[in-house]
Amino acid sequence: MTTNQFLTTAWKWNPALLLFCALTLVGYFLAFRLRGRPIYLGAALIIFVVALMSPLNALANGYLFSAHMVQHILLVLIIPAFFLLSLPRSFSLPGPVKALAHPFIGWIAGVGAMWLWHAPALCNAATTLKAVSIVQTTSLLLMGSVFWWQVLAPRDAERLSPPAGIIYLFTACTACSVLGIILTFAPVSICPVYQQPIDRLGILDVIRGQWGLTSDRDQQVGGLLMWVPMCLIYLAAILAQLARWQSDPATNPEKSHA
Amino acid sequence: MNGTTTTAMFRAAILDPAKRAHYRLAWLSTVDHKRIAVLYLLTALFFFVVAGVEALFMRLQLALPNNHFLHPDTFNQLFTMHGTTMIFLVVMPVVFGFVNYVLPLQIGARDMAFPRLNAFGFWCVPLGGILLHFSVLAGGAPAVGWFAYAPLSETPYSSNLGVDYWAIAIFVMGIGSISLAINIIATVISCRAPGMTMRRLPLFTWINFVNAFIIIFALPVLNAGLAMLLIDRRLEGHFFLPLRGGSAVLWQHVFWAFGHPEVYILALPAFGIVSEIVPVFSRKPIFGYQFVAASSMAIALLSLGVWGHHMFTVGMGRPLDLFFSIASMLIAIPTGVKVLNWTATMIGGRIRFQVPMLFCIAFLIQFLCAGITGISHAVVPLDWQTKNSYFLVAHFHFVAVGAIVFAVLGAVQYWFPKMSGRFLSERLGRWTFWLMVLGFNMTFIIQHFLGLLGMPRRVFTYPDLPHFTWMNMLSTIGVFFMAAAALVLVWNLIASFFGGKTAGDNPWNAWTLEWATTSPPPHENFYALPPIRSRRPLWDVANPDRPDPVVGENSSAIQIVDKNKAGILTFILSEAGFFATLLLAYLYFYAHPQPGPTPRELDVPRTLIFSVCLFASSLTFWRSEIAMRKRQRGSMLGWLALTVALGGIFLVGQGTEYWKLFQTGVDVSTNLFATTFFTLTGFHGLHVLLGLVALLIFLWLAWRGDFASGGEPAFEAAGYYWHFVDVVWVFVLLTVYILPLLR
Repeated sequence: MTTNQFLTTAWKWNPALLLFCALTLVGYFLAFRLRGRPIYLGAALIIFVVALMSPLNALANGYLFSAHMVQHILLVLIIPAFFLLSLPRSFSLPGPVKALAHPFIGWIAGVGAMWLWHAPALCNAATTLKAVSIVQTTSLLLMGSVFWWQVLAPRDAERLSPPAGIIYLFTACTACSVLGIILTFAPVSICPVYQQPIDRLGILDVIRGQWGLTSDRDQQVGGLLMWVPMCLIYLAAILAQLARWQSDPATNPEKSHA
Repeated sequence: MNGTTTTAMFRAAILDPAKRAHYRLAWLSTVDHKRIAVLYLLTALFFFVVAGVEALFMRLQLALPNNHFLHPDTFNQLFTMHGTTMIFLVVMPVVFGFVNYVLPLQIGARDMAFPRLNAFGFWCVPLGGILLHFSVLAGGAPAVGWFAYAPLSETPYSSNLGVDYWAIAIFVMGIGSISLAINIIATVISCRAPGMTMRRLPLFTWINFVNAFIIIFALPVLNAGLAMLLIDRRLEGHFFLPLRGGSAVLWQHVFWAFGHPEVYILALPAFGIVSEIVPVFSRKPIFGYQFVAASSMAIALLSLGVWGHHMFTVGMGRPLDLFFSIASMLIAIPTGVKVLNWTATMIGGRIRFQVPMLFCIAFLIQFLCAGITGISHAVVPLDWQTKNSYFLVAHFHFVAVGAIVFAVLGAVQYWFPKMSGRFLSERLGRWTFWLMVLGFNMTFIIQHFLGLLGMPRRVFTYPDLPHFTWMNMLSTIGVFFMAAAALVLVWNLIASFFGGKTAGDNPWNAWTLEWATTSPPPHENFYALPPIRSRRPLWDVANPDRPDPVVGENSSAIQIVDKNKAGILTFILSEAGFFATLLLAYLYFYAHPQPGPTPRELDVPRTLIFSVCLFASSLTFWRSEIAMRKRQRGSMLGWLALTVALGGIFLVGQGTEYWKLFQTGVDVSTNLFATTFFTLTGFHGLHVLLGLVALLIFLWLAWRGDFASGGEPAFEAAGYYWHFVDVVWVFVLLTVYILPLLR
């Protein structure tokens, strides 16, 4: 199988996930009509589809640790962020869930999502067992949402103040970078499944040969993805916090509402 | 006469400036931020001359091919001392001097948050300088470059004491820098004048505030590396010795993880200086304050994660090269934003071409060149070709001299009137400027081409190849112009200090608060502060009919964080960086096991019992704090004593573990597991010990009757530190004792 063939054929239209997307869309419009920002929801759903049904998912599913890492980042950092951004300004959490909206819990959720699922046993299990994989995906989305809530909550009053937000994001970034550094330089496989993949799609030769991704290099790329691009996401968020800090509250309509 | 009266009289004598004036040592015992700043600046000037002369000797040696003016080893020593001195004893102190003088004034503070800590931070610099130069008497200066690459810096290859003095000197100066950074952060957070919100900070203050955070994160990494190097050298450890399983590349990672942020530690204050001078001399507010502020933060954050571009030639592999290359290129964006801001500030301004502005204009042009050659090194193949050539030497001197030193010289001219009450001579200043521009460019532009022609750096001489000779000669001639510029500067400083034109409070019609007080400012800085509503309070005072728009909410009360808390939390951040480096080094060697003892030989259950004691001590301290707030003296003393006892038990446990290991013949030099184990747990033990000393002091104070009034921030701050030491142990316990059990 060539690269082109792979990229065109490896899409797997998972009906359960498509149904979930449709339900989310319908639920969103029933609940908020057009008060929110549906464009962000659209972006979140499209990225969701790409993360879990595209060739990326096929690669993450036992072939490449680095592809798994891309998926991981999308699920924890990108999709929840876009989802929170899509919510209408008036939205606030229903009572029982409010307990999760504490900076400490948010931070632990965000950093834990990175560290926990890269413990060798869990990482392996999530790649080989379907049930664990479902738990992983769900937990990543939830933990990501809990993490971002502190920064992207619809109401300004429920977010951290900009300086606190910067500290929150920076420390989270550092904690994840440390994991990235460990993954990059670890001489042993963190997720041994990816060392000798079972070649179900007949793509392994292309990956190892044409793409040049040996298993060592693959793990290095995975670690580096967590280390560098992920930090850039945090960095962008930190700069957004700074912009929020510098913006004048008087000319800022959302704050005067709150 | 009883004790209290003596103390009171003594205090009165100390606090009365008139009675203290005759103390000859007043300058040496000062805790006034302005005097400490001047001490920093004078120290920097002294070492600037020293390191400049070293450079002069090196250029003389390099003026002709196959030259034997200097012995190769002497050249290497000069080369190491020049680099080390210029970075740690010139640029850092000079920058710290300006920060120390200007920052508290700009935010309307009385002094730095911790004046004594400030004095401590300064005195680390001369101590480091003396230690470093004492090596010359103790068998020869270090000859390993300022980067001290292993294994050259290890005992088998550098057997005299030079490297030891070098490492200890930098360690000491690192501690000094960290203490100043803590002070800066605590000052900005806790000592701002009413109305001076974070959003109204002058850019010099903001940038140095951000910079302090880089210091907090970068310097401890270096100090951890130096500690490992010293353990290798003095205790026969093996961290960086490949012969015994160590990793020379690890040293490079540690060194550059500090070294790259260090570039920004030096450059950001220069950016801050330029952001002050350019608007004032363009008679326009800075263009895009927010962008300058935000880009500084972006630079700071990016700088911490791109050290790998110093190591492309090490052979880290494609993926690492690729990611570091892209991340390094990204730094061009915020830096470019800044250049745009400064240029746009000048456009349409009525520019006064006085000396400070001249230096800033030269800074802009030369910094742009430095940035462009810098970004070229992010391209891996190009880097491979030019890294070990004079092209790189030219690049980093464009940053260090063409940008940073030029900005600093501008700052000298700009703030000298505030410090002395007199202007520096404009005429002599112009002489310095033009000699400097000519000499600097003559020396370093040509080195780009020398490098591209293939002249390697770090060599004491070179063969007579085509063009090499005249190019090197031209470069050497340039140094003499720079030396002349330095002489004119020194003369200008002396002459103007005694006979310069008197400057008023605000000689440049500037807008920030340091110009709102007399020149020089009184001991207490301000008699009265103008109202602060915008980023240019003095503009508002001078132009009441068209003031700047009010920035942010105009609440009179600023929510102030207690300075003890701000200080200790910052200190904890820096300590976390130190331990993170040691932990990562431990993990690195844990993953590459060596023959000899392994973690499996540790007595885990026993350690767990002692660990419980340590963790329990956090709880007892917490109880003690509650008792203090409730003003139950007895209960507080009891819980505190129990805390000390539990900490002591933990230390005894550690001691017996060490003793048992020694008994079985395991010590630091046995193998890499032993080296890393003793280093990590030893440094933790040292921190517990220091924490215990602090707690004992508090116990003594409490027993004497202090803290009777309830809340005491210093006590809480000590508590934060104690909890932190326990948290570090959680990580050490998990990594060293629990991790091997999971396999």
